[in-house]
Amino acid sequence: MKVQNLLENTKQQMRKGILELCIMSIISDEGEAYPSDIITRLQESQLIVVQGTMYPLLARLKSAGLLNYTWKESDAGPPRKYYALTDGGSEFLDGLMGTWGQLVKAVKHSTKNLKVNK
Amino acid sequence: MNKISNINLGGFPFTIDEDAFNHLDKYLKTIHKHFGKSDSYEEITTDIETRMAELFQDKLEDRPIVTLPDVKNVILTMGTPEDFGAEDVFMDEAPKSSGKWKIKTGKRLFRNPEHEAIAGVCSGIAAYFGIQDALWVRLLFILLAFTGGFAVVVYIILWAVLPKAESSSDRLAMRGEQANVENISKIIEEELDHVTKKVSEIGEELKSEFHSKKKVSAGRMMPKAKAQRPLSEIISVQPLPKGFMF
Repeated sequence: MKVQNLLENTKQQMRKGILELCIMSIISDEGEAYPSDIITRLQESQLIVVQGTMYPLLARLKSAGLLNYTWKESDAGPPRKYYALTDGGSEFLDGLMGTWGQLVKAVKHSTKNLKVNK
Repeated sequence: MNKISNINLGGFPFTIDEDAFNHLDKYLKTIHKHFGKSDSYEEITTDIETRMAELFQDKLEDRPIVTLPDVKNVILTMGTPEDFGAEDVFMDEAPKSSGKWKIKTGKRLFRNPEHEAIAGVCSGIAAYFGIQDALWVRLLFILLAFTGGFAVVVYIILWAVLPKAESSSDRLAMRGEQANVENISKIIEEELDHVTKKVSEIGEELKSEFHSKKKVSAGRMMPKAKAQRPLSEIISVQPLPKGFMF
């Protein structure tokens, strides 16, 4: 039971950092992104389990000055928020991508002789 | 048959069944509570409500009314505050676990106003230790009271020091349960039961009172039965012996 909890915790920690990286890359890719579209892309890559997780994350990145948003009119319903990276956000993303490259190499190198049962 | 209400969720109008509305309302309350301490409280909760509105629109297509299964489905998609565990909203005020003497059991000691004999101290202790019946704790206190009266002092100190479990979340903390949607609705249901029981008891009492008065006015001067007297009268006539304080 305890091992199971630990595993879940570690998985969550791993996803958490990567989720940030992915959300910021998607926004950078789209230029301006509507949260629901970000969710669609994250679900395609099966990275998020529940959608509610994303909103506190966006709010945190925004209050850290990495993202900002503009309101745009929509065809149906109230105006929508579109998120974009700030200059600081772009730099942040570059930094994350650099680390990610190193991590991929490191993981590949460390696990090359590992045989996984599944 | 079901009552319906009209709501505005994230700027979209919806017609919603009553049971679906109650479920949604409960869910949104836990969301608001979860993010209540965050600096971006407004932002996050509005975004979540807007997203839920979009999901409802996708689900409904041409149907006019939001039903309970729709609500359950959307909640499953959005996730509950427990699922958000991975995303730490309170990053600035993360709990400091460095304290050497901090023991966290997840439970808190309260006075339990729901099952009280005097002030709910014993039943609060019973809830804290997971003892099913507060009677055992009361018996222990009474026993100790007879062997030197020490328990009387302890009881009075606890009465003064312990906070009363006023809100639903207090009562959950008293039993060491988490404040999530299921648990809070459980507490609310218990409270409703409690109130209904009280109301029907009072109703019965009034009825019997009314009957006895009718008999009196009819000229048959019957002495009132003991059980029909108001409780306060009985207590004032027969003060309880000191040992029964608990």
